[in-house]
Amino acid sequence: MFDLRSLLDVGLAILIVLLIAPFLGRYMAKVYMGRPSLLDALLDPLETAIYRFLGTHPRVAMGWKEYAASLLVLNAVATAFVYALLVAQGSLPMNPLGAPNMSWDLAFHTSVSFMTNTDFQHYTPEHQLSMLSALLGLMMLMFLSAATGLTVAAAFIRGFVRRDGTVGNFWVDITRTLTRILLPLSLLGAFLFALAGVPQTFTGSITYFPLSGGVHILPLGPVATWDAIEFLGTNGGGYFAANAAHPLQNPSAVTNFLAVIMMLVIPFSTIFTFGHMVRRPGESWPLLVTVLTIFLVALGLFMYFELSNPFLAGVATQNSGYLYGAETRFTIPEDALFQVSSIYANVGATSMVLGALTPVAQSTLLFGMFLQSAPGGDGTGFGMLLIFTILTVFIGGLMVGRTPEYLGKKIGQPQIKWATVTILSHPFAIFVPLVVALVSGLGAVAAGTGPHAFTVLLYEFTSESANNGSGMGPIQDNTLFFNVAGAVVMLVGRYLPILAMLAIGGSLASQDTLPPGPGTLRTQSATFALLLLGVLLILTGLLFLPVLALGPLSQIGVGGL
Amino acid sequence: MDAGTFAPAARSRLRFRRHATTRGTQVVWNALRKFWPGHAVHNSVMFVVYVLLLFILVITFFPWVFPDVDTRGFDQLYYLAVAVILFLTLLFAAFAEAIAEAQGQAQAASLREIQSTIQARKVLPNGRRLTLPSSQLRLGDVVEVRPSELIPLDGDVVKGAAQIDESMMTGESDAVVREAGGDKTSVLGGSRVLQGIIEVRVTTRPGEGFLDRMIKLVEGASRERTPNEIALTVLLAALTLALLVVIVAFDYLAISVGTVTLDLATLVALFVCLMPTTIGGLLPAIGMAGVNRVSRANVVAKSGRAVEAAGDLDVLILDKTGTITIGNRLATQFVPAPDVDPKELMEAALLASSLDETPEGRSIVRLATRRGALGERVDPEKVRLVPFTPERRISGIVLDDGREVYKGAVASIESLTGHMPLEVRQAAQEASRQGMTPLAVSSGKRVLGLVILKDVVKPGIKDRIRELKLMGIRTVMCTGDNRLTAAAIGRESGVDEVIAEAKPETKLEVINREKRYGHLVAMTGDGTNDAPALARADVGLAMNSGTSAAKEAGNMVDLDSDPTKLIEVVSIGKQLLITRGSLTTFSITNDVAKYFAILPAIFTGVAGVEFLNIMGLANPHQAILATLLFNAITIPLLIPLALRGVRFRPSSAVELLRRNIVIYGFGGLVSAFVGIKLLYIGLSLLYANPLFIHWVALGRAILGGL
Repeated sequence: MFDLRSLLDVGLAILIVLLIAPFLGRYMAKVYMGRPSLLDALLDPLETAIYRFLGTHPRVAMGWKEYAASLLVLNAVATAFVYALLVAQGSLPMNPLGAPNMSWDLAFHTSVSFMTNTDFQHYTPEHQLSMLSALLGLMMLMFLSAATGLTVAAAFIRGFVRRDGTVGNFWVDITRTLTRILLPLSLLGAFLFALAGVPQTFTGSITYFPLSGGVHILPLGPVATWDAIEFLGTNGGGYFAANAAHPLQNPSAVTNFLAVIMMLVIPFSTIFTFGHMVRRPGESWPLLVTVLTIFLVALGLFMYFELSNPFLAGVATQNSGYLYGAETRFTIPEDALFQVSSIYANVGATSMVLGALTPVAQSTLLFGMFLQSAPGGDGTGFGMLLIFTILTVFIGGLMVGRTPEYLGKKIGQPQIKWATVTILSHPFAIFVPLVVALVSGLGAVAAGTGPHAFTVLLYEFTSESANNGSGMGPIQDNTLFFNVAGAVVMLVGRYLPILAMLAIGGSLASQDTLPPGPGTLRTQSATFALLLLGVLLILTGLLFLPVLALGPLSQIGVGGL
Repeated sequence: MDAGTFAPAARSRLRFRRHATTRGTQVVWNALRKFWPGHAVHNSVMFVVYVLLLFILVITFFPWVFPDVDTRGFDQLYYLAVAVILFLTLLFAAFAEAIAEAQGQAQAASLREIQSTIQARKVLPNGRRLTLPSSQLRLGDVVEVRPSELIPLDGDVVKGAAQIDESMMTGESDAVVREAGGDKTSVLGGSRVLQGIIEVRVTTRPGEGFLDRMIKLVEGASRERTPNEIALTVLLAALTLALLVVIVAFDYLAISVGTVTLDLATLVALFVCLMPTTIGGLLPAIGMAGVNRVSRANVVAKSGRAVEAAGDLDVLILDKTGTITIGNRLATQFVPAPDVDPKELMEAALLASSLDETPEGRSIVRLATRRGALGERVDPEKVRLVPFTPERRISGIVLDDGREVYKGAVASIESLTGHMPLEVRQAAQEASRQGMTPLAVSSGKRVLGLVILKDVVKPGIKDRIRELKLMGIRTVMCTGDNRLTAAAIGRESGVDEVIAEAKPETKLEVINREKRYGHLVAMTGDGTNDAPALARADVGLAMNSGTSAAKEAGNMVDLDSDPTKLIEVVSIGKQLLITRGSLTTFSITNDVAKYFAILPAIFTGVAGVEFLNIMGLANPHQAILATLLFNAITIPLLIPLALRGVRFRPSSAVELLRRNIVIYGFGGLVSAFVGIKLLYIGLSLLYANPLFIHWVALGRAILGGL
């Protein structure tokens, strides 16, 4: 049914990610722990200049509130800047294709979308975005949002090691994340993409005259650099509207392969960063095993139901499986790997039409966004995982007869209180606008009616709340309601969990560290990994199974191909 | 002599009645009171159920209030059935709490009883004696205490002198002499008079005493929620809130998607089934039952917090005397001098100790008798007792035929007899080296040999210490003894660390040291000089026999004054937390099966969701009622477990986790599938019953007539 070699591609890509992750993870830990590295000679003077400019001293650590305030201020300023850029782009330079000024709501949605690492695109890049907006605006935000997520993870993790109530210096963290992690990796990534045939040019477009007659304009740009940070930063916004399905953004199986590795590598590395930062590298393993289990099962489900769907047997059989209408350039395993990686790492890049997938495949993708943590986006995905780990420790710790503790820190009321904020924010952010959209009829206007339209709308808000950014068309979402509601959902879905992560980190950092004893819950065990898996799946399923049943699941076997 | 003979009379009087009788009417009344809204609001999870019940009742009887219920397949009898099951859910949860409460009340009642049963003999101004409960003593009262009686309260000796066993209080195994006048007048409440009759003036106030406060605490313990319980409550409340959002959204979404019609009763049933009602309903009872279990072990916890802390302990500081060892040195061996018949040595030792009432003396008598010594009949009137004095360090008797038998320190016997055989001296040195106490025995001028006294480790203590080690708790033994003795006992009992030549402030130092490492420390104590350490320890278990300062400082008081009780308290604390965690897990894994029952019932006819119907529940209403009923009856089924606590066997954390995940995680999963299916079959049988059909018809007729 499919080339077995393509399955090997899948295995190889995952293997490469897993081989890089321990090393990159350790390197990232060094960055956040301020350890010396080879780049010091080059970067130290630059960073010192930046700190001087920002007026911060690298040795001054912040409490979580100051850290959060700095983060919010920087994010707000950057969003405002890009917002201004977008509403005025028509009269600014570097606008080869003559994109007009964006409407205020679309600019609001777009700037928030890129700042929150969502990269949900209600605009069409080819027509509605100038090259200046793309490079100085959105690409800058793609770097900044990924860096923001990673600093949050670093600050959260520090809570487990520190005892003085501080979680680090935000300005130092964000600077070092950019100079030592994202910029070098993106440089490498862009080089590889360019090498594999992705365009890299400042030429805005090529005009050509096809044999069929007429005039065609082929938009171009620095796609390779854009691609690199799109995937490495788990951003997912495409340089072209068709995103990774576009032959210039994802020209070949090689770039497809590269993209998968770039999407997964930082989220998986962060799991190792954690182990190194808490000085117990072994603690990474149960988390990795849990995440990998979920990821591989999701990949398997997606592949199986696109290849040979038992519910569709006799209804429709295709030699190439069921991806017809979704994607036909690559093989099903390769496509599945790209799409599942993109959704589960909360990148949100798409290489196919998600609306044309089978219901189980759609459910699989939705479930990944409900989870947000297998492995999730840069930094924040790991933060979510850590919050679920804390909840698991709370329940599991009770079961061994001690008030729960994780890595020597007691898990009590403050941590649980903030952890529940993240549990609550996701369903709130998804369901409130969804109900409003459906009850007001705005949803029907945008997407139509029936289970599939419901799935499309559910997907829209889930993707925004999870800061994923993929969309399941067709939907007319460049409207006032969807732009504003979507922006609010993205803000809630991004910053409430970030606040919770920083607050938990801060509350842990002000505790003394307890020594581990034989009576404490051992988190470096298969049993704990199993418990974590159970808590993740059951808690998520508990909250989201009804809407899955209402949407994609109720289309199984209906012939809703 | 065994540990039990220390304070036999007092202990049996102090014991709670094992099976605290809980009055049925009290329980029912307590349970019903929980339905008062002001009460119901205390338990957030159950309060949501309460509101939902009212909601369903309103729809059942006044369906016109909700104009669209008719379009959603309103069936009055089905709504009524849902309402009844919701009511049962609430009732069961209320009963769980009420039973736990009633147990606490019963224990408070028996505490009050105890208060009035410690007897004291008060000396009246006219010289007469009046026996009265010690609770009625006042500051300044004078009581008379005779041999083998307990001194009721701390006080000063105003008349007479006595040899007093204070080992339970101070850990000092040698008896002390207290007499009127001078600076050795103070006696400790709970210590036992061995010889002599004394009159003691009470120097503590019993009326405002600690028992009164304890009673209030046992009764009130139910009201205070511990940090861990609050954290769990927050989690459960958040989960409920999130589910509320999901269910309300589900209703709106289902209407607009239009594939299914959602019955309001079904929606409520789905919500209630998914909510953590099992743990939510049992949570208050679990906490109360924990405190009750501690009291049933005859320990009064001053707060539920202390019980929880007990589960967390890392280090236990144990006194050697009274905790690890019986508290007195006992004779274990006779070593005859060269050319002396062992029989002769035993007879002499027996004779020398025949009037010695100290535990050591009595142990010599017992050992000699057991080894076959016959013993001479001694007429106490005709012999002269030579009592033990710290200066001479020997004791014995002078018989009327002029024979003198003595036992005592080797050096003292040598100076008495003028010689000491080399072999005996060597044997004595060897015994000392092993931490034992040799006593030489002489008859006239002849040295007959040695009696070896040994600090005997309590039976069973080794196992308890091994269990503690399994639980991950380190034991530190503190003793005033010299290093040799201490090390010997340490080896024998298996404790992790031995601190010898400890001074009263040593315990505090050890606690401070452990706390610096971030350990949670527990200790037992009874003396006034233990008070600072008791207060500093995370769990300070004071002995009831101890001084009031100690009882004030500790956060638990053991009414039996048995220091090994600490080990039991640790188990109870762990059990409390395990019960909470396990039932939470159970509650959550149950939900998986509930989804497989209710979702297919809601989505009847939708092929894609029907494949979830792996239990094969054909009738939707019946499936929902079976699930809701399962949800309700898990609460009463688990009440015994909540009150008794999950079985806790000391083992490593990994093992505990694995076992509890299997039992309560997978158990919750499987039991819900099986339980719901069984209840469904049960309902099927019921529905087929002609009598039931008749009743249903009648019910419909009555409801229709309303």
